[in-house]
Amino acid sequence: MIAFILRRVLLMVPTLLVIATLTFVMMRLAPGGPFMSDKEMPARAKQELMQRYGLDRPLHEQYLAFLGNAVRLEFGPSYKYPDREVRDIIVQGFVVSAELGGWAMLVALVFGVPFGVLAAVRQNRPEDFAIMTLALAGVSVPAFVLGPVLVLVFALTLTWFPAALWTGPESRVLPVLALSVAYIAYIARLTRAGMLEVLQQDYIRTARAKGLRERAVVLGHALQLGVLPVVSYLGPAAARILMGSIVIEQIFAVPGLGRYLVIGAINRDYTLVLGVVLFYATFLMVLNLLVDLAYQRLDPRVELA
Amino acid sequence: MRALLPWLLICATLSSCAPAGDGGVVSEGRRWFGSLTPPVGQVFRFNLGTEPELRDPGVMGGQPDGRFARMVFEGLTVNDARTLEPLPGQARAWTISPDGLVYTFHMRPGLVWSDGTPLTAHDFVWSWRRVLAPETAARNASLLYPIRGAEAFNKGESDGSDLGLAAPDDSTFVVTLGHPTAYFLFLTTYYVFMPVPRHVIERHGVRWTLPANLVGNGAFRWTFWRQNDRYEFVPSPTYWDRAHVRLERVIAYTVDDLNTSSNLYKSGATDWNPSGYIPSPWLAYMKPYADYRTDRYQGTYFYSFNTTRAPFDDVRVRRALMLAVDRETIARDLLKGSREPWGRITPAGYPGYEGPPQVGYDPERARALLAQAGYPEGRGFPRVSLLFNTSEDHRRIAEAIQAMWKRDLGITVELSNQEWGSYLQATQALRYDIARRSWIGDYLDPNTFLQMLMGGDGNNRTGWSDPRYDALLREAARTLEPAQRLRMLAEAEALALDAAVFLPIYHYSTTELVKPWVRGLHPTVLDVHPLRHVWIDHDWRRNLEARP
Repeated sequence: MIAFILRRVLLMVPTLLVIATLTFVMMRLAPGGPFMSDKEMPARAKQELMQRYGLDRPLHEQYLAFLGNAVRLEFGPSYKYPDREVRDIIVQGFVVSAELGGWAMLVALVFGVPFGVLAAVRQNRPEDFAIMTLALAGVSVPAFVLGPVLVLVFALTLTWFPAALWTGPESRVLPVLALSVAYIAYIARLTRAGMLEVLQQDYIRTARAKGLRERAVVLGHALQLGVLPVVSYLGPAAARILMGSIVIEQIFAVPGLGRYLVIGAINRDYTLVLGVVLFYATFLMVLNLLVDLAYQRLDPRVELA
Repeated sequence: MRALLPWLLICATLSSCAPAGDGGVVSEGRRWFGSLTPPVGQVFRFNLGTEPELRDPGVMGGQPDGRFARMVFEGLTVNDARTLEPLPGQARAWTISPDGLVYTFHMRPGLVWSDGTPLTAHDFVWSWRRVLAPETAARNASLLYPIRGAEAFNKGESDGSDLGLAAPDDSTFVVTLGHPTAYFLFLTTYYVFMPVPRHVIERHGVRWTLPANLVGNGAFRWTFWRQNDRYEFVPSPTYWDRAHVRLERVIAYTVDDLNTSSNLYKSGATDWNPSGYIPSPWLAYMKPYADYRTDRYQGTYFYSFNTTRAPFDDVRVRRALMLAVDRETIARDLLKGSREPWGRITPAGYPGYEGPPQVGYDPERARALLAQAGYPEGRGFPRVSLLFNTSEDHRRIAEAIQAMWKRDLGITVELSNQEWGSYLQATQALRYDIARRSWIGDYLDPNTFLQMLMGGDGNNRTGWSDPRYDALLREAARTLEPAQRLRMLAEAEALALDAAVFLPIYHYSTTELVKPWVRGLHPTVLDVHPLRHVWIDHDWRRNLEARP
């Protein structure tokens, strides 16, 4: 177990190196630079800034300097917001994104899994059709459609919740809902599929044969293996959801981390983009590792190799 | 549910095209957009827009940054809330020498920074010098170039020992210009000319603009910040005119999405949705609402030709394309009257400036010119492309003009959209044929537009230069008599318009939403709004009735 974790952590290093290198190269290939603007900046001023951030040095030197900084988790100041360290920007944004994502994840599981179980148990009956139709709709409606509809109905017409902004608890409701609907739907479908498969297995027949109540069969025996597909989906889903959806953050003016990826890329804010990308990559890999560990706990057939 | 889905989609599409929900709240015989519940107390909430990049007035550049600076700092002069005319700010009075070269500012007695440190004329000398010092890398340093020795110092050609800045005593600040500049006093209202606290900068370096460190001298003190969320302010107790600041608190959100910004306004979360934050498809629907205000804004939208490339090295081709644009139709049908068709480089509204006549729509003459240039009915016209930065509005205008050129001239122009950074680089490096451009003036004088077309100016980006044009602008800069100076500028503009380097399309407008209880906030041509005069009128219903 310890050896497994250690090996996986070690494997992350080359992966991160590749990601860092690719990001670095792609950022530099993009035309323009961090100090371009609609109104021409005086040549002397531009030169001064390039020097200040070491952008006048040869590219390989810049690359090595960046790698060195990344190892020490020091990405330096953002080019666009020079009084702030990239690290501080990431931390501040992540706290918000994690809260939004955490709630959305919780809502997705609390509703998605029971719906999926119900649909599987009542396979091909009205409950199943209703849930699966809803799930299909949930997966199909993109966040940029659902968000504005929620705002229109619940904020502007019924005025139950704020239209946007990250203030009190009531401001969490709409963004969490908008973010979680697609995940509720997807998790319900995954749970249903997993449960259907498990319910046909011999050990379930055994359980039924020895006279266990259906409730105990489903929740006590089938569920543990039935949710495995959900667990494996949880890793990437959690990474995506916890990093905040860029679209949801935009619609609801949530000061999360997701938008920095977009803003940073548009502004050619090299340090900010590299910092956010590396943070995201690490986060995703750690979550995948946790998923693998959870897998092993849930399914005794899985061995950590 | 299956049946509901298309309905949901239609609903969402509608909500992105038109202001959602009811037809507005009717009160006192007028229709208002959304909530009519005012804030509690003297609290003013608005959307600052895109997160400011810099909070250092000496080096900043954008409009949100400027709005922040105008709250927390104050220059020698401040703008009148309606006309923007310079009024006494940190300086209580000034004199100008008869040759227009020496400005002597007399500071108000007892000025202090928000941390209590005295503020003197020496602070201005230090701050202005700092803006000009090359290592500061201030992007708007060129606004200080009228000052003697400033340009050479900023470009690293001198050590700045002859800079025309002096403080003979704590309360007198003497500025000597290199040549008379009619709009210099107006420039001193600009944020680049605001003083910055030397004692704080020397202690904290670049981090002096963080909320824990920042010290200002303006009407408000900055109390809270969360990036991409909000800024909060309270009146500064040390401000010289504290008695007249009526707001108790100001909350400026930094929401860059236009739909979200307007939704917040509608839901009553903000009292002011500033210009530029109404989605353009909404504009056509906003006119009936009493909180919608529109006025001229000092900016023009135009196309520029790359005159270093054939066929645009031929003035006849450029003129032909310029004459074959039906600006009226674009403004009326495409922009739904939210912008004014415009046939000139400089915008309207410069006192005393009578610009050249606007170019109009004349397909006959356009065809004749194109034939003269060797492309009768567009035959043999090379493949050229029209570059614009990615945006739905730019695309619609480009498509309309593409169709007009096809119809009237028989030429085919490709559309090419690029993301902002690529677009900027292409225009700067003259790697384009025709490009969408726009320009917003910095100060109230035609010079802020005409300067752009000087040979070698970094914002020229057309490859065009004309020694006669440059000479006219230089001579105008040295001319003291205002009417004569403006005549020279008009002559220069006529010359540039005749050369058809820029193809003007429309005049910018400010389009904003203001709740009925907001007082002291007026539309201005620079979209600059001194917030210290703003207050919340809780008796607005009665007062509205009393007004015509």
